[in-house]
Amino acid sequence: MATNQKATFWMIATLSVAMAPQLFRMPVPVVIMALLPLLWRIAAEIRGWKTLPALIRHGLTAIALLTLYFSHEQIGGRRAAVSLLTVMLTLKLIESYRIRDARLIVSFSLFLCATQFMFTQDILMPLYGAVTVILALVTLTHLHRNEAYIAFDKTPAISASLFSELGFSLRLLMLAIPIGLSFFLFFPRWATPLWGIPEATLDSKSGLSDSMSPGSIQNLFMDDSPAFRVKFQGIIPRSSELYWRGPVLWNFDGKTWHGNLFSVDLEPEPRPDESKAVWKYTVQLEPNERHWLFSLDYPATTPFNSRITSDFQILRRQPVTQLLQYSIASDPTFVDSPKLADNLKMAALDLPRGSNPKTRKLIERWKREGLDGPALVDRVLVYFNQEPFHYSLESPLLGSNSVDEFLFDTLTGYCEHYASAFTVMMRMADIPSRIVTGYQGGWYSGMGDYLLVRQSDAHAWSEVWFRDRGWIRVDPTAAVSPLRIARGSLGALSAPRHLFDYSWLRGLRNGVDIVQQRWNDWVIKFNAESQMRIFSSIGLEQMTPPMLVISLFVVIGLFSLLLLPFIFRVKGPSRKDPLRAVWLKFLKRLKAAGFEAIPSTGPSELAQAAARHLPQDSQAIYQVADLYSRSRYSATPPPLRELKEAIRKFHPRKKHRLR
Amino acid sequence: MNTATLTAKGNGINQRFNRWILERVRQRRGSPTLPFTLEYRHIYVMPTHFGLGFGILLALTAIGGLNFNNNMVLMFGFILAAIAQMTSLLAYRNLSGLMLLGIRASAVFAGQPARFTVLLKNPEERLRFAIQLVSGTSSDCADIKQQATGRWELELMTHRRGWIDMEPFQIENRYPLGLFRAWPVIIPQARCLVYPAPVSNPPPLPKTGRGDFGATRRGEGEHLHGLREYQPGDPLGRIAWRASARHQTLYSKTMESPHEEACELNWYLMGGRNTEEKLSILSAWILRAERLQIPYSLEMPAASLPAELGEEHRNACLEILALFKP
Repeated sequence: MATNQKATFWMIATLSVAMAPQLFRMPVPVVIMALLPLLWRIAAEIRGWKTLPALIRHGLTAIALLTLYFSHEQIGGRRAAVSLLTVMLTLKLIESYRIRDARLIVSFSLFLCATQFMFTQDILMPLYGAVTVILALVTLTHLHRNEAYIAFDKTPAISASLFSELGFSLRLLMLAIPIGLSFFLFFPRWATPLWGIPEATLDSKSGLSDSMSPGSIQNLFMDDSPAFRVKFQGIIPRSSELYWRGPVLWNFDGKTWHGNLFSVDLEPEPRPDESKAVWKYTVQLEPNERHWLFSLDYPATTPFNSRITSDFQILRRQPVTQLLQYSIASDPTFVDSPKLADNLKMAALDLPRGSNPKTRKLIERWKREGLDGPALVDRVLVYFNQEPFHYSLESPLLGSNSVDEFLFDTLTGYCEHYASAFTVMMRMADIPSRIVTGYQGGWYSGMGDYLLVRQSDAHAWSEVWFRDRGWIRVDPTAAVSPLRIARGSLGALSAPRHLFDYSWLRGLRNGVDIVQQRWNDWVIKFNAESQMRIFSSIGLEQMTPPMLVISLFVVIGLFSLLLLPFIFRVKGPSRKDPLRAVWLKFLKRLKAAGFEAIPSTGPSELAQAAARHLPQDSQAIYQVADLYSRSRYSATPPPLRELKEAIRKFHPRKKHRLR
Repeated sequence: MNTATLTAKGNGINQRFNRWILERVRQRRGSPTLPFTLEYRHIYVMPTHFGLGFGILLALTAIGGLNFNNNMVLMFGFILAAIAQMTSLLAYRNLSGLMLLGIRASAVFAGQPARFTVLLKNPEERLRFAIQLVSGTSSDCADIKQQATGRWELELMTHRRGWIDMEPFQIENRYPLGLFRAWPVIIPQARCLVYPAPVSNPPPLPKTGRGDFGATRRGEGEHLHGLREYQPGDPLGRIAWRASARHQTLYSKTMESPHEEACELNWYLMGGRNTEEKLSILSAWILRAERLQIPYSLEMPAASLPAELGEEHRNACLEILALFKP
């Protein structure tokens, strides 16, 4: 029952490709534990090593499980579960010598491939899926032949080439795609899931988090993956107005900013008026496994299944685990909280005791100079602008008096440093203030008519509160580096972020994003609702699931009808043998003349019989038979057209029956 | 792999299913007349164990995709399902149109396996992969190229002399992925002659035959056969002195004995042993006589053959023994 070496290598290839995306998402020790058995099996196959003793195999399994347990932060998570599947599959490799095992590995490789789509449905994923399927098909074909011939000591008569194997699998895949598509379109969808993804299993959170410490946004800056895409209806805001509001942070412990539990529980009062909301847009949010939805200031409508907090965060009930689209309207002229509750005001002024003494002295000096309120805000911004501050990614880590160190020592920082320092300074001056994190700007695709916001557009800014004027946005980064706001996060840097960071490459990537956007629009977003829309557009309003299934079978039936002639085609010999074709024509002429050839006779025998039957044409008959024998059997055959010519001229006269 | 399942005993679902199909074919169609072309109505298609497992995995994938409305997972599952479904058609197509040309088997001795050679022809211009012939106890596998004829050998263990009928067999294949098994059931009208098993230590050959049968034997004997040139080692007494003197070279006489003894294998002279034992002894004697090149005659209650040698005579004798009815 053992698999042969070729099938084994195909099996290994299938598993390797299937697990490739997962490798990039696993912690390094787990990657090593996954690769070790794989490499061992390849080496064992090449060198002819024996199977490992059971003790070592079980030991390896135990070590792998422990590694998995200790390197995944969240052991109950989806990511950890897929890591477990991956590691178990590669471990299975070291003891898979039977056809059954190989089939198991191939089937579960396909399953592993499917699980990868839970994490990303990127435009390149179909390609990955197709390659995995083709490899799996080739492996299964090999295993089938293996199984068929296993008991017999003979080599199969037909040995398929690599090219034909791949071609066969590709053809199979191509034929399956239309059927798969009809299923996709017509298969009854569930409008509401039977069960949701438990939040405890979400372990691949990306994007902004619910806290901010120096460096957290900086990490996002390296991430070029899309955060969301926005389509505006009507007015498109200017670049400097594109502040995408996310988590709002109130509480500062000297190093890290956190959200305020109290503000999150309150409803906003008053709320923006929907009729005044001039910015109307639709956001397509990439899954980040978090609760925040992003909007421009200030959201006047509430997307489905979510709520707006008093500090205008939009929180969705379930975390976003797949592409989510929501429509929203914003009113930029709205005044946020002209009156502030006392407890919130306290929270917006709270600072750790005795920290950052130098900064406090600076603020006190300005206050003694008579600066207060908006004038002090301006003074701080001027300070940022005129002192030699650098907007840079390479900012040193800061200690316990982080604002002092930043303002008087390093003077180098990223938006979060500025926002943090500014907010602390405001609080020292008794101006209520808080930090808002989110995204700023985006890349506008003229072709696709949408705005693309990447993770690298993550930003942090401040809001200060004045009586009656409410919360006002102040972006200290803009004071230091106006380019950051005008050109976006990447335009403000003088040095590239990494080796392949060129502006033309970024432009190319932005341009290519339109394909991804279309893919999201047409494929990823498709759901029960879009299914209904398709049918109502052709006049079928109420499609019940049975009707859907019937139409599914009708479509597949129609497609199969198209294919039927190819499937049941009987390939006759004449298609490939031109000589036989003309010979058959000759026999047909003879038959028309009343001579029926016996199938078993050869050409010369036939010619004799025919000549006896049709004596008037005997000469022509002998000529054709001779030409045919020579064309067929001679070492130097005459050209085919001679025979064709002879047969073309051959018109036997029908034998007259004697009456 | 559960190949030898067709007539397998037991009460598992598989065995019962196979028996049911066999019974159905027996009642509806009986034995095919040759040449027999496999058509759609002869071919059954069912998923294999692997196919069922694969199906369950696909169903799980699809349920996951539906529940989380993950379109790529769904699409992936649907396409795989479509591929799997198509392979059932390919498995069918790999068989349809095949022609069963004939089955033959040469006679064997009881205790040896009867070997039935099945000839299948692929009349079409396409390859057919890994076609397995499976009977209750044996199987064989081969590919057939375009317009070629392939041969498969199915063995059947023999225990008793006489005719043995070939078991029903199926022409099975799991092309191309092993997810589906397509198979027609054939109830062949083929049989194999089984000779009585020769006993291993037979009594000595009864050399009681009259001497005028069989070929002459050269070299020894009393009668002159001819002359040949002298070769060193020829006994002096054999030299033909008179002829040698005439031709100036030495000649030796070669002698012959007129007729070899023959043995008479006679049923009635074998005493009171039991029938099968006697047949086995006769079978062994025939083989020995052939080996020693001693002509032998056979005398049985229903038939008798004069003494002779050779393949044809041997087979004729053995056939009489095989089909002997006391």
